[in-house]
Amino acid sequence: MDPARAKVRRREDAVSAAARERIPRVDPYGFERPEDFDYASYEEFFSTYLVILTRRAIKWSKLLTGNTTVQKSMKVKRYIRKGVPLEHRARVWMGMSGAQAQMEQNPGYYHRLLQGERDDSLEEAILTDMNRTFPDNVKFRKTSDPCLQNTLYNVLLAYGHHNQGVGYCQGMNFIAGYLILITKNEEESFWLLDALVGRILPDYYSPAMLGLKTDQEVLGEMVRMKIPAVADLLEGYGVPWTLVVSRWFICLFIDILPVETVLRIWDCLFNEGSKIIFRVALTLIKQHQAFILEASSFADVCDKFKQITKGDFVTECHTFMQKIFSEPGSLPMATISKLRESCRAKLVAQG
Amino acid sequence: MSRKKIPRSKGASAPATNGPRPARPGTVRPGSEAPPNGPPQSGRPSLGGGGDFYDVAFKVMLVGDSGVGKTCLLVRFKDGAFLAGTFISTVGIDFRNKILDVDGMKVKLQMWDTAGQERFRSVTHAYYRDAHALLLLYDVTNKASFDNIQDWLSEIQEHAQRNVVLMLLGNKVDSSHEREVKREDGEKLAKEYGLPFMETSAKTGLNVDLAFTAIAKELKQRTTKTPNEPRFRLHDYVEREGRGGSCCRL
Repeated sequence: MDPARAKVRRREDAVSAAARERIPRVDPYGFERPEDFDYASYEEFFSTYLVILTRRAIKWSKLLTGNTTVQKSMKVKRYIRKGVPLEHRARVWMGMSGAQAQMEQNPGYYHRLLQGERDDSLEEAILTDMNRTFPDNVKFRKTSDPCLQNTLYNVLLAYGHHNQGVGYCQGMNFIAGYLILITKNEEESFWLLDALVGRILPDYYSPAMLGLKTDQEVLGEMVRMKIPAVADLLEGYGVPWTLVVSRWFICLFIDILPVETVLRIWDCLFNEGSKIIFRVALTLIKQHQAFILEASSFADVCDKFKQITKGDFVTECHTFMQKIFSEPGSLPMATISKLRESCRAKLVAQG
Repeated sequence: MSRKKIPRSKGASAPATNGPRPARPGTVRPGSEAPPNGPPQSGRPSLGGGGDFYDVAFKVMLVGDSGVGKTCLLVRFKDGAFLAGTFISTVGIDFRNKILDVDGMKVKLQMWDTAGQERFRSVTHAYYRDAHALLLLYDVTNKASFDNIQDWLSEIQEHAQRNVVLMLLGNKVDSSHEREVKREDGEKLAKEYGLPFMETSAKTGLNVDLAFTAIAKELKQRTTKTPNEPRFRLHDYVEREGRGGSCCRL
């Protein structure tokens, strides 16, 4: 290495070591930062994001002052797209998704569900995933007190009793886990899970998973329309969409994108519905089109799809969220409904 | 699934060339991947994804009930590591690659890891037919996962290629939990279906490399065997090389 580059490298190392000192090893939600976490670029991003967060916090405080409930409006939609401050997140999600109304109309219901008739296979399925839900989060450790595993178990069990057609599907453990981390409230987490699984996401988790399969194909069709070269690539190498995107849909980007980015996506998901998932997926693909097209084998394509969910583009959640509303272009609900209908019919015909 | 739209005959050509619209003509390297079914390409050194050289590639799929240790087994084989309590439930389908040297030939295993929960079968079984080999796992400390093996076998029979290489593995022999499935029960079931069988531990590494190596040897031989080369016998190999490790436990 020439001396000038060595000097630059030393300076970079020093910067990242300093950032490592300043940024806690565990994030505000309890997740341990991964070994390869890029402290320096995160600090750089966060210093600008902090300004945005502060500005949004002031705006939201004004909006919420004197209001017990938030009504849907263009202004609220705009506010939500720019990010809900953490301290208001639970309240806004509850209000926008209809979970609050459900909870108020059904007092005591959640607790009755927990005392419902026992279902061994449901309990077993949920238990199998307890130690496998966020082992990297200090609050979900068996040794932590209070241990959120118990809360998680209750929410999933109650949901299985409530929606017997779905019961428990893997992936719901991660979603419920996030809801618990944000609301810090078992019953609210249950009602938000119900909003997602029962209303916002069309039939992703029931045993036939038809809604999930449909939406994977719908995404494929959208890519064919909007980013045809990528659709050709996948088809050329015989890469099924489900292989590269099933986790995006089932886990709603948990463990795919950074935590903060996922929460910003969910802000909009609770308010605007499942089309947000398509917006995020299309943005990821379109933004990295050239990179994806470098793939020269089946395995390569799959690797690229893993890599496009990492890096500054997705960490910088504020710009990322702006991108999802501009990059994919218009995405009318009528088009989505039509595509869902045709893809679903095709899947049903295939058996 | 999108791939269902592509009509494909048995032994279709490599993924690189079988699509009606080859992505970017000229950039596609036939032979860089094994075809989804039928004989894989062989004897043609090629450049795979990520710049790794290999001679032949195969798809291996891990199946079995939720929580039997599919991901752990895969990671143990790929990275030689077992990190207790660091794995999250596999949702949908995922895969990892590893290139191994089999008698002087570079064999790439593309290993597909699947969610074990029953409802995910309808998402994953469409890919059984692409697999050259299936590793079917149960957990020796979980009787139900063993009882479900017959179910898995009929699933495999229905969806996989007839000549798929299949192996039965009883995992978690290291576990401090009480064993619920005796080694003899595993052996008996395997014999009944004519499957090679081993007990494994992703935690200690017992028989893990052996299982994948045996599969790789078998697949490689199917592709490249010359007439006067002695036939590789998977059953014998596994029986000879497999270590008991737990013979005194039950």
